[in-house]
Amino acid sequence: MIRTRTHVGSRAAVGGLISMLAISLTGCGALGGESGSSSSDGTVTVWQYYGDEQMPTGKPLYDALEAYDAENDDVKVKIRFIPFEDFNRTLQQGAAAGESPDVALINAFDTQQMADAGVIEDISDKVEEWGEKDAYYPTSWETTQVGGKTYGIPHVADDYALYYNKDVFEAAGVQPPATWDEMESTAATLAKEVKYGLAVSGREGAEGATGILLRQLAAGGDLKTFGDGTGAAALESYKRMVDNGGLSKGFLTWLEDDAKTHFAGGDAAMMINSATYVNILRDEVPDLNWDVAPLPKDEVSKSFLSAENLTIGAGSGDPDAAWDLIAHLQEPSVLEEYLPARNKLPARDDVPKAVEDPIRKTFADQLENAWAPEGDVATHSNESLTAIQEALQATISGGSSPADAAKAAQAKIDGALGS
Amino acid sequence: MSSLARSAPAARTTVRPGHRRPNLAPYLFLAPAVVFVVLTVVYPLVYNILQSFFDVGLREVVQGGASWVGLDNYRDQLGRSEFWHAVVVSLVYSIGTVVIAFAVGLGLALLFHREFPGRNLLRALLLLAWILPTVVSANVWRWLLDGSYGLLNAALSGLGLLDRDLFWLGEPNPALLAVIVATAWSFAPFAMILLAAGLQSISPTYYEAARIDGASAWQQFRSLTFPLLRPVSLTVTLLIFIFTFKTFDTIFLMTGGGPGNATETLPVYAYNEAFEFSRFDTAAVATTVLMVISIALALVYFRALRSEEGA
Repeated sequence: MIRTRTHVGSRAAVGGLISMLAISLTGCGALGGESGSSSSDGTVTVWQYYGDEQMPTGKPLYDALEAYDAENDDVKVKIRFIPFEDFNRTLQQGAAAGESPDVALINAFDTQQMADAGVIEDISDKVEEWGEKDAYYPTSWETTQVGGKTYGIPHVADDYALYYNKDVFEAAGVQPPATWDEMESTAATLAKEVKYGLAVSGREGAEGATGILLRQLAAGGDLKTFGDGTGAAALESYKRMVDNGGLSKGFLTWLEDDAKTHFAGGDAAMMINSATYVNILRDEVPDLNWDVAPLPKDEVSKSFLSAENLTIGAGSGDPDAAWDLIAHLQEPSVLEEYLPARNKLPARDDVPKAVEDPIRKTFADQLENAWAPEGDVATHSNESLTAIQEALQATISGGSSPADAAKAAQAKIDGALGS
Repeated sequence: MSSLARSAPAARTTVRPGHRRPNLAPYLFLAPAVVFVVLTVVYPLVYNILQSFFDVGLREVVQGGASWVGLDNYRDQLGRSEFWHAVVVSLVYSIGTVVIAFAVGLGLALLFHREFPGRNLLRALLLLAWILPTVVSANVWRWLLDGSYGLLNAALSGLGLLDRDLFWLGEPNPALLAVIVATAWSFAPFAMILLAAGLQSISPTYYEAARIDGASAWQQFRSLTFPLLRPVSLTVTLLIFIFTFKTFDTIFLMTGGGPGNATETLPVYAYNEAFEFSRFDTAAVATTVLMVISIALALVYFRALRSEEGA
């Protein structure tokens, strides 16, 4: 310690300050306290992470909500865009400060976490009265259920499929792979024509787990059973693809958007990605000759769901107005216009016009039995996905064998689920 | 806090005779600064330290009511290999950055200590690296290091040093090296400026005397420049170390802590704990440890500086 002569007075002041802080700490925030609530004033606030009014991902929602605003004189809709990486944090901090939105458009897999934390409201009664539950696909509906109660309504759905470049396929004389074994050999063949046979995200974090999870689902496992052999089989499959040149080692540095860049540029003959990129490819590279095939099969054929749910913020001053807006957004006539513009799929089966486009239909058909994490697995999906991406990284870099990597990932997942 | 109070001028300004009120003016002038520091530095700091002794998950953040768990969070974290891995990566990353940034900075400072045409322009250009926002520089490095279209690989294979696509950010050791080099690149100009100022302050008469005694350039550097630069060098290394030690953005943008957790430093680890996995209490443990190490280093630094001055 530095030896200085401290005034007794200032030392007492510091002591007083710290005890004051301690008292104020237990008076608010995580270490004590309570939250207020918003008031009802005819304004319905909507928080979302899709994008702002100028972005192709944001504009359709603004249009839909503006139409609703115009139809209802007594309601004023206020939309706030919060980027995805800040969204959950902002929503949680808002709830802690008693400043929740009326409507929050959240990632479907975060529903349980938000419900447990008291960020969103139980809307079971409203849903019961509404009576349209049976229109929804079971996988989508399941994400809204927490402890037997309903905490949201599916807004849209999305899943993964195989995009392929028709010209490169023709030049190489191959067909879209129907099984993962075919995928391994096809990717290697295509890598002789263009730079990459297959492009898929594999970068550090949850997003980079997309490819390996889809492969493991096909092997008949899921996040909870990564260590039981299906995980190792999936890891081995990816290792073979890297070894035979069909998949570049660089995929470990790619996000989904990077995979799209390589596909759009003609460097990659195939990519595994969500329907999000259908309109983007059509806009960016109208001359690219591509199509979409269902994901290859192994033991089973399975895609996984990526989706958002509409929820009502805890302490919303006007839950009835919030509910009215949510129900409006889910009317088939509204969805028929909104979904194609937003480039997403319906979470319910009574919107045929939204999937007339054959490419979008390929995605929609897979929704029927798409996988989604449930319960605690959903709450800890971020951590679990990060763990299986690490297993992928360890396998590809030769740091550990597929079996060991899968077991290590399973241990991490179990640890997360137990916490 | 105590140093703040002591820096208040204790001198009594002249008051009219017979008027013996204590003079509060200096304290009034200080008050805004003190309040500002308390609100923006002391409060969050103490809050964070306190949070590491409570059980804080998402529910507690939203609804309050966290329970006191004493040292449980510390026990949990200090018993985890991931945590120690993050500490080691932080140290390797910071020390590596300091060594490279200092060496390059010193070389540049010596270079610019001479007169040559275009010197000022070149120096200004170098400063860009320091001024450039991290978002820009980190992404530029990502492109440079890309395995398939990166400039670095193109240059290396052009020189015949590389015969395959090396994905720098996709392999553990190259990725760690890459983030160290990228960070050092932005700190080198900063080191250069401070060291150049240090060089300016060395009296040229020393060198004249050395030259008369027939000392070579290397001897001059070793026996004069280097020892006389020591106080500045200490400042430079410590500042860069502390900056780097708490750096989050460069690594987060370049690798996200990956591949695996090869570049997961303590700040990235803390971020993941809090905002990816909603474990706010253990994140607070990580940031508290981060702070303790930085403060310890600062104390070592002040002590060293004092002994330098006393020498």
